[in-house]
Amino acid sequence: MSYFNLKKKISEIKTTLNESSDFSYRCYKKNGQELGFVFLKSIIDQNLLSEAVFMPLQTFDEKITIKSLIHNIIKCADVKKIKEEDIIKEILDGRVVIITNFSKEIISIDLFKFPSRIPSEPPTSPVIQGPREGFVEDMQTNLTLLRRRLKTENLVFKTYKIGSQTQTKIVVAYLKGIANNKVVEQVVRKIKSIKTDGIVDSYYILSYLEERPNSLFKQIGNAEKPDIVTAKMLEGRVALIVDNSPIVLTVPFVLIEDLQNSNDYYTNHHYSSFVRVIRLLGLLIALVAPGIYLALQIYHYNILPLNFLITIADTTQGLPFTPFLEILFIFLLFQILYEVSLRLPSYLGLATSVVGALILGDTGVKAGLISPPGVIIVALSKIALYTIPEQASQVTILQIIFIILGGSLGLIGIVSGFVYFLNYLNELDSYGTPYLAPYSPRIPQDLKDAIFTSPVGDLKQRPKTFSPTKKERL
Amino acid sequence: MKEIKEHTISARQACVIIVMCIFANKILLLPSLMYEKSKADAIFAILILFALDLIVLPIFFKLKQLFPNEKLYNILSRKISPFLTKLIYLIFSAYFMFKALLVFSVTYVYFKQQIYQDEFLFLAIIAFIPVINHATAVGLRSFARSIELLFSIVLLGFIACLAFSLFTQLSMPIFFISNAKNFFTTIYEHTFAFGDYIFLFLIIDKIQIKKGQEKNFYFYSLLGMGLILALFFLFYSKYQITSFMHNNALADILVFSVQFNAIGRLDIIAMLTVMVITLFQLEIYNYAFSESFLSLFPKLNVYYSIAVFDILFAILYYIFIGKYEILVGSSDIWSPVPAIFINYIIPLICLIIILIELHLKKRKKKDQTYLSNKK
Repeated sequence: MSYFNLKKKISEIKTTLNESSDFSYRCYKKNGQELGFVFLKSIIDQNLLSEAVFMPLQTFDEKITIKSLIHNIIKCADVKKIKEEDIIKEILDGRVVIITNFSKEIISIDLFKFPSRIPSEPPTSPVIQGPREGFVEDMQTNLTLLRRRLKTENLVFKTYKIGSQTQTKIVVAYLKGIANNKVVEQVVRKIKSIKTDGIVDSYYILSYLEERPNSLFKQIGNAEKPDIVTAKMLEGRVALIVDNSPIVLTVPFVLIEDLQNSNDYYTNHHYSSFVRVIRLLGLLIALVAPGIYLALQIYHYNILPLNFLITIADTTQGLPFTPFLEILFIFLLFQILYEVSLRLPSYLGLATSVVGALILGDTGVKAGLISPPGVIIVALSKIALYTIPEQASQVTILQIIFIILGGSLGLIGIVSGFVYFLNYLNELDSYGTPYLAPYSPRIPQDLKDAIFTSPVGDLKQRPKTFSPTKKERL
Repeated sequence: MKEIKEHTISARQACVIIVMCIFANKILLLPSLMYEKSKADAIFAILILFALDLIVLPIFFKLKQLFPNEKLYNILSRKISPFLTKLIYLIFSAYFMFKALLVFSVTYVYFKQQIYQDEFLFLAIIAFIPVINHATAVGLRSFARSIELLFSIVLLGFIACLAFSLFTQLSMPIFFISNAKNFFTTIYEHTFAFGDYIFLFLIIDKIQIKKGQEKNFYFYSLLGMGLILALFFLFYSKYQITSFMHNNALADILVFSVQFNAIGRLDIIAMLTVMVITLFQLEIYNYAFSESFLSLFPKLNVYYSIAVFDILFAILYYIFIGKYEILVGSSDIWSPVPAIFINYIIPLICLIIILIELHLKKRKKKDQTYLSNKK
């Protein structure tokens, strides 16, 4: 009694897959028994298929049964029975599906393979000391990197497939008994509610996870290194690993997180504290320096030191622009150069820098279009911006807002803008965690690892900020 | 329209709000004509009014203990009468509106004289109003957290202002030169600049006070007042006659600072400190107005109260625009009666409610004991 007409079934599958050119099948006949192997050759390991399936099949002399196929013939770790309606899904997942004319049962073998790079140091998170491994696009590798660091039965990976077309795997990773259950449930609920045709990268799910997707401020953390994600999970946070993306997302997120760097934990804590203060200073300079310069130049010039005031008066005399337009012009010029240098090949990038710095900057000053103090202030704020590269995009928008406030309202505008954003950030929560914690609201216990940090050995408790289930680090 | 969910604030946040009120009221509002009447003795007037304010605190704690998580409006409605409570809340709304108006007027004149040198009312309104409206819209928790976060910086700015004055030789003020009538008139006329704890009564249901945290309120109040007194003495040493309680006292803070050639005039610290204090104070008053208004009209949401505040603020400011003397200079004429009512009569009413409640509880307990003994 035959259960499947192999030719007909394979033809059906081929039609369902729109006769895709990478669709492949192979039929094997022996003693009236027929087996059909269906797969997409672009995403499976064909060598392994012949070594682990076809060769043992040829040497097998007894009558083939589903049981013997699973237990005696196929030399693969992941072999399972599937339902008929799952055939297409399994093939698209990089598995080889076996259908026979002697059983209604269908077997699927995991032979998924695609080109993957070796974990290397991510370009955005270089370290002087500490591990240099970074996540890659292959999810399995990423999970291995985490599992290697967290050898505990509490490490939980929950997989979900999102995207009607891409069927992208999203893994919610957390430490059971440490992570806050409410946060885990909230994350899972949000992941399940995603309705889209495709997830191309982890950033695609940001807007679904953020509580305020329209906000200027980022509400989800990200990391490219397994040591950072491990440390965050040990604090009680939840990680989201998206297939085909080297960026792992973490929740809850607090602003202070971007002032911290993995390198801080691998060097002397006094130096780490110092560096964090510098980063904070950098952030403040980046944020308000051009705005304050404008406010002082237009409204509060009597505050400036006399010599500096004379220099400004000398250099700005005869400029075609008002101070406000001048700063805005330099700012836009810098932004254009920045965008160009990002997109251009590296060999042209150098030329752009020369054109930008020497020709546009120097000649602009000599031609009397822009003033040297203006160039210095904007350049300073732009350089300071990259003390915290993670915040670069939102700070750039805020820079423009503060330039407008400083130029039009003076110091009152700057202070008002600052207080406005402070109130706004104090209202913002990331999965129940206050955005400006542990400073606002003040959580004294967590100040041990905020801007100033204590030796790692002194951090005996997990941050209260993230409401972990288990408070003690044991 | 969506409703904004309200959260509670911690005892520490309530304490820093109080210090901010003390700073704002005493620096921004007190530089009136207080000194003219009672000379350096004005400092005793301040101390007496401050002591009267402090008496209100135990009443607040007891009321919170007896009616936990209950709004003052509900307590008063139940214990006095709904109509009288509505009347009280109407006075509350007007009181906080005028306080906001006074703070804005005083700082506006200060900034106009010292920084902008020209009319900039439109700019000031554009800068301040959206921020204080937003603070009220996002709720007490958010701006209380902001005040908590910037509290240390404001304190540092304040101490820096004091430190600059140490470049001058200190001298003791000459006390006890004004007569009793002038002295008590000063106390009466400047009650409006006190009553900092009334705001706590309005948000009584939104403050979480754990056992033993009551003393923090006294500590923070004394810290705020201590700094105000330090400012008084240091100002006196610098200016002798004027002290800091006069019309242009805010302007004096600027002159007070030393010109450093290398880094410019450091009065920017005083400027920024005053700006931050003003903004926070206006946020507090706008929120207090909103609380009172929404208690009167519970069916409306916070956006209506903000709109009403803005419209009234604009109308009143338009009436008083350019008439600084009428608004601020005459505040000693129009402000004492409502100030005394809000600052002292309301707490007194609360005290009576507390005493009656305690008495009732005691009687209930007595009755229960009697019944159980009878059984």
